[in-house]
Amino acid sequence: MEQRQRVALLLGPPGLWLTVFFLVPLGIMAVFSFRAGSFGAERELFTLDNYRQFLQDSAAQHLLWRSTGMAFLTAAFCILLAYPLAYFLSFQAGTNRLTLLTVLIIPAWTSFLLRILAWKVILGSTGALNSLLLWTGLIEETAPILLFSREAVIVALVYVWLPFVALPIFAGLERIDRRLLEAAEDLGCRPWQSFLRITLPLSIPGVLAGFLSVFIPTLGEYVTPLLVGGVNGIMYGNLIQDQFTRALNWPLGSVLSLVMLFLVVLFTLGFGRRVRLSDLAGV
Amino acid sequence: MNTRHRISRTIGLAIGGLTLAACAGAAPQVSNLIVLDWAGYELPEFWAPFAEAYPDISVDYSFFAEDAEAFAKLQSGFEADVLHPCSSWWGLYVENGLVQPIDTSRLTNWASVQPDLAAQGQFDGEQYFIPWEWGYESILVRTDLVEQVPDSWTDLWDPQYAGHVALWDAGEANFVMTAVALGFDPYNTTPEQRQQIRQRLVEIKPNLLTYWVDYSEMAQMIAAGDLWMASNAWPDAYGYLLDDGYEVDYIEPAEGRLGWVCGYGISSTARDLDLAHAFLDALLAPESMAYLIDTYYYGAANAAALEIADPDIVALLDLSDPGVLTRRTIFYQTLTEEQRDFMTSIWDEVKAAP
Repeated sequence: MEQRQRVALLLGPPGLWLTVFFLVPLGIMAVFSFRAGSFGAERELFTLDNYRQFLQDSAAQHLLWRSTGMAFLTAAFCILLAYPLAYFLSFQAGTNRLTLLTVLIIPAWTSFLLRILAWKVILGSTGALNSLLLWTGLIEETAPILLFSREAVIVALVYVWLPFVALPIFAGLERIDRRLLEAAEDLGCRPWQSFLRITLPLSIPGVLAGFLSVFIPTLGEYVTPLLVGGVNGIMYGNLIQDQFTRALNWPLGSVLSLVMLFLVVLFTLGFGRRVRLSDLAGV
Repeated sequence: MNTRHRISRTIGLAIGGLTLAACAGAAPQVSNLIVLDWAGYELPEFWAPFAEAYPDISVDYSFFAEDAEAFAKLQSGFEADVLHPCSSWWGLYVENGLVQPIDTSRLTNWASVQPDLAAQGQFDGEQYFIPWEWGYESILVRTDLVEQVPDSWTDLWDPQYAGHVALWDAGEANFVMTAVALGFDPYNTTPEQRQQIRQRLVEIKPNLLTYWVDYSEMAQMIAAGDLWMASNAWPDAYGYLLDDGYEVDYIEPAEGRLGWVCGYGISSTARDLDLAHAFLDALLAPESMAYLIDTYYYGAANAAALEIADPDIVALLDLSDPGVLTRRTIFYQTLTEEQRDFMTSIWDEVKAAP
């Protein structure tokens, strides 16, 4: 009985928070997806037209796949960059690891928007990258290369999410029993062999956790593409934002959001077998 | 005995007080006026006569960044006294009963308001909106960076500017602009014409550096030289870049510049009509409107303001030629819900197109 009370006390506040600010709005959105309009009498009308409209809208579907691809690439690059970093922290950094970990996280303390805007400065025609290329003689006149493209969106997002991928991988590597590596060495394994056959397989759950923690938020991203994406970098999230803020088509916006949510749930279920929830928290 | 006496006296006083209040009439029943407005329009210089007449009433602003946002806010039950949407939305406000007719006989500055602009605020014979500021939309161009200064909206598609053009990220503006470039009547299009407009907007993509969202950022990109041309730019960006010494031109395309009007309406939930009318009248005062011209490089609905505004700005933007209002400018018109729907969805399709 007392145990149950303690659980209720612990789960109550976050549960209430989730219900009020997540589940209820989600429910409202689900209801809106079956409505004919955002306001007035139309809001009371039941319809399936919004779903039909999405199924016929090849442009929106195309954008969804493109955004999925961009989110996948972002997550993949994050892992490629974060894995060696986490490996170094876990196996080589020794007593400095806490300091280095803090250094890794410090950029995340600055505002997200500020960091994206910084990329604009770096990639812009008068920015650092252009000046460097000009100085090395690789280019002869400045141009806003990279800025306003799909690549710019991915570069900026990889930078933003890198620490969030490094942490779960680091946590996964920390959990590996070092005696296994010693045993492998004793039995004549070369370092790369013990990495491929022990370290890598055992760190996969952390890698997948890192992947999901980038892939999911990136799929719905709209601020970064708005700032550095230009004409070709826009993402599915921009389409959703437009429906809510400009077109005032809340029902269609709800359908677009729910489709994305469905996709994310599918992915998570697919990965779920291999990931423990605790890995996502990085503990 | 004593108590009863006191009660009756209190009631008597109360009734007397009520009668007095009713007789005074002009004494406002509220302590503030809530204005739903664009950020940047909260300057007290815009309504100085109101502050003089009602020193105890505070003017409280609630801001919006897009017309759609203001409309959604009111539709969702936000209670404002006075609001400031732009003309293409006015019809929707009237249709949805969100505004009430304005008694223009109570506006001392009404007589000198330009009739062509005033007409846009009339629906079913009633004045629902007073026009306030108007402005152009045209192509802003860095004359020192292009070889040929454009002279038509169709030049936005010209490959000689490839990679250095920006369109405004706004469905209605791009629909109207493209319709004008193609020689269509933007407010009377056939489905085939709409298909053509969509096609043309997809075809312009290789020419674009980006879509501009934030107008000060657009001005910065022009200043940096990344952008040579920005479509649907407003006169204030032109004015500021000129002031900073950049070689820019704000062309008058062969088809004409586009034009927009915004203005004030009285919400159907306004709490004090005297205050609301007095505020509108103060906004229309020649001094208020001249301050607008000088600060924002916009046109003023009150013709009397032109005489006291900075003559350089008036000349630069041709504000005093009555022809700019009647012939030379293609003004945005109020949209039906259907028109708004297809304009925004065409733009969404264009943006999503590979």
